[in-house]
Amino acid sequence: MTDALVLSEVRKTYGQREAVHGVSLTVKEGEIFGLIGHNGAGKTTLLRMISTILKITSGSIQVYGHDVAKESDSVRHLISYLPEDAGAYKDMTGRRYLTFIADFFATGKERDELVERGIALADLGDKIDYRIDTYSKGMMRRLLIARAIMTRPKLAILDEVTSGLDVINAYEIREVIRSIAKSGVTVIMSSHNMFEVDMLCDRVGMIDQGKLIEVGTPDELKRKYGKETLEEVFVTAVKGA
Amino acid sequence: MSHLSNIVKKEVKELLTPGSIASVLLMVILFACLGGLIGDEVSKSTVMPTVGVVGSDDQTIELDGDEWNAYDFLINFYINSGDKRITPENVTYFVIKMDKGDIMAQMEATGASVVLVLADDFKSSIESSIAKHGTSEESVYKKGSVSQYYIYKPSGMIGGTVSSSITEYLITYMNASLSRFIIGEGEAAYIEFVEHPIKGSKTYTFINGQPYEDVTPSDISEALTGQTMFIPIIIMIIIMMVGSIVISSMGSEKENKTLETLLTLPIRRTTIVTGKIIAAAIVGLVFGTAYMLGMACYIGSITFMAVGGQGIDIGNYGLALGLTDYLLLMVSMFLAIACALGICMILGAFAKNYKSAQTMTMPLSILAIIPMFITMFSGWYGSSDLIKCVLFAIPFSHPMMATEALMNGDVTLVLGGLVYMAVFAVVSIMITVKLYSSDILITGLGQNKYVEKLRGQGKRKR
Repeated sequence: MTDALVLSEVRKTYGQREAVHGVSLTVKEGEIFGLIGHNGAGKTTLLRMISTILKITSGSIQVYGHDVAKESDSVRHLISYLPEDAGAYKDMTGRRYLTFIADFFATGKERDELVERGIALADLGDKIDYRIDTYSKGMMRRLLIARAIMTRPKLAILDEVTSGLDVINAYEIREVIRSIAKSGVTVIMSSHNMFEVDMLCDRVGMIDQGKLIEVGTPDELKRKYGKETLEEVFVTAVKGA
Repeated sequence: MSHLSNIVKKEVKELLTPGSIASVLLMVILFACLGGLIGDEVSKSTVMPTVGVVGSDDQTIELDGDEWNAYDFLINFYINSGDKRITPENVTYFVIKMDKGDIMAQMEATGASVVLVLADDFKSSIESSIAKHGTSEESVYKKGSVSQYYIYKPSGMIGGTVSSSITEYLITYMNASLSRFIIGEGEAAYIEFVEHPIKGSKTYTFINGQPYEDVTPSDISEALTGQTMFIPIIIMIIIMMVGSIVISSMGSEKENKTLETLLTLPIRRTTIVTGKIIAAAIVGLVFGTAYMLGMACYIGSITFMAVGGQGIDIGNYGLALGLTDYLLLMVSMFLAIACALGICMILGAFAKNYKSAQTMTMPLSILAIIPMFITMFSGWYGSSDLIKCVLFAIPFSHPMMATEALMNGDVTLVLGGLVYMAVFAVVSIMITVKLYSSDILITGLGQNKYVEKLRGQGKRKR
């Protein structure tokens, strides 16, 4: 299976502070990889470096063989990043927003097809033609995930994708993620919801103080620590108990 | 659709909202109305004021069977004043006889702006002085005194200044009339000669090395008042407007958390920067033009006041701008806007949200206001070397002072300014692109290594 994402000794420092401390990791094509860690552990910084918006202090990140630092333009054609609490242009309608994004990826009929796919993924009914500032949080998240996926990225980077959503919306978004992974899209996502990660992710990476302390499938990790839930595994791994 | 036009279209749509268009239109209407109000106030102040006269019947001067009366003089003067409202039939509404009683009450009752009170010894002083004609001792000639009474009402700069100056003008003419009466009409020409034996035959002023007849530097300055005030104000408004647009746009992107998405789209950072700059320039120019129209009405009335409606045609003195001059002015204005946008994109990169973006327009406003005041009050040519250095260094000064420089034939100053602004704009846009490729845009200054170093040093010192 092709390596979709390869991180080698990735470091990120802000002045004296080290936010990411020599992370190495490989994610295979079509895999759903979950990053878990407490607030400030370095998950978002890592995802932002993969997404080309933060510079890597040292080490390297390769997306489908393209170096993020040296070939950021090429990498941006392959990825789609959905930041935590991301927003959209509030004075646009949902349809206009999807069209605005699709315009950067395709033209003419191909563009229109992307937009139609986005509209289907968002599943907002006639609300797709409403202004975004009238959307609820769940509707906004559906629109944004549709935006992130409609362009058929090879790597989807999703930061806290279901945070703050109700059970139904969170469930539906997880179903979308599962279906895109089946279609061959690689997903790297961060989450605080251990249940979600356990159910959704093929493999999990645990981050603490910028270091990757554990990697494995949820079952492997549970077996290794002799725990029944991923939550217990995480607490044990972080506290060393 | 190209990536650049997609960004520009999005930005323009975001900036030209019905709300922003309505607020600019409202501002234009306000300016126009303000101009109309000032115009009305000026025209009210420059017409003849209603005047009251006290004691004119008792103080009629008699000489060789003829009489001179202050009230009669004023009646004639008002009828011939050129004020279209005044006719022989209604002149007594404008020149009113009053008694020595409560002057203020009479003024309020009649609406008189000023009351002239002839002193009790007005007649006796003048008549006794006439009788002593031929005496060389100055102290024997006693002048008749006239007191002026006004009621102060807060009416702004225009109303107060102009109405009292018109009264001074009345007293001057009253003096001249009485002089002619005393000497006799037959001697009027001689009096004129005695009072003004020297004639200023012709006035010459050198303008750009050429001598021009019958014009003074003051005439030229008055004629240019509109332009010297108008251009700097308009440029200041445009600069502040485009600046505010760009910085706010950046603040909104961060506040709405759309910036991170924008930065991960498959477009170059230069495209994002250029798109934002072009959109802000388009919207800034649209808003600037609207403001310019409103300001034109406003400034027009002030100019009318300053030159008293009697302007000179500056084209007759070689001061009119030609096509090349206007082209240079336009290029200068365009480059100044480019510089403003460059500065604002840099400032906008540090804005955390929409609110903080608003405060970041302050440095730009200061940079736009300083040259505006300097060019309005002293101009490039009237400034000291230090001020000239400051003016030259601020890119927005150049279009403000370009008109004056072009009228003076100083193309070198204008071209120098263009080169400076071009370099300034390119450097600031390069810095912006660099910033857009750095972490600062996402992390802010708080996590910058240099800032952290400074903080570290600060902590150690404490």
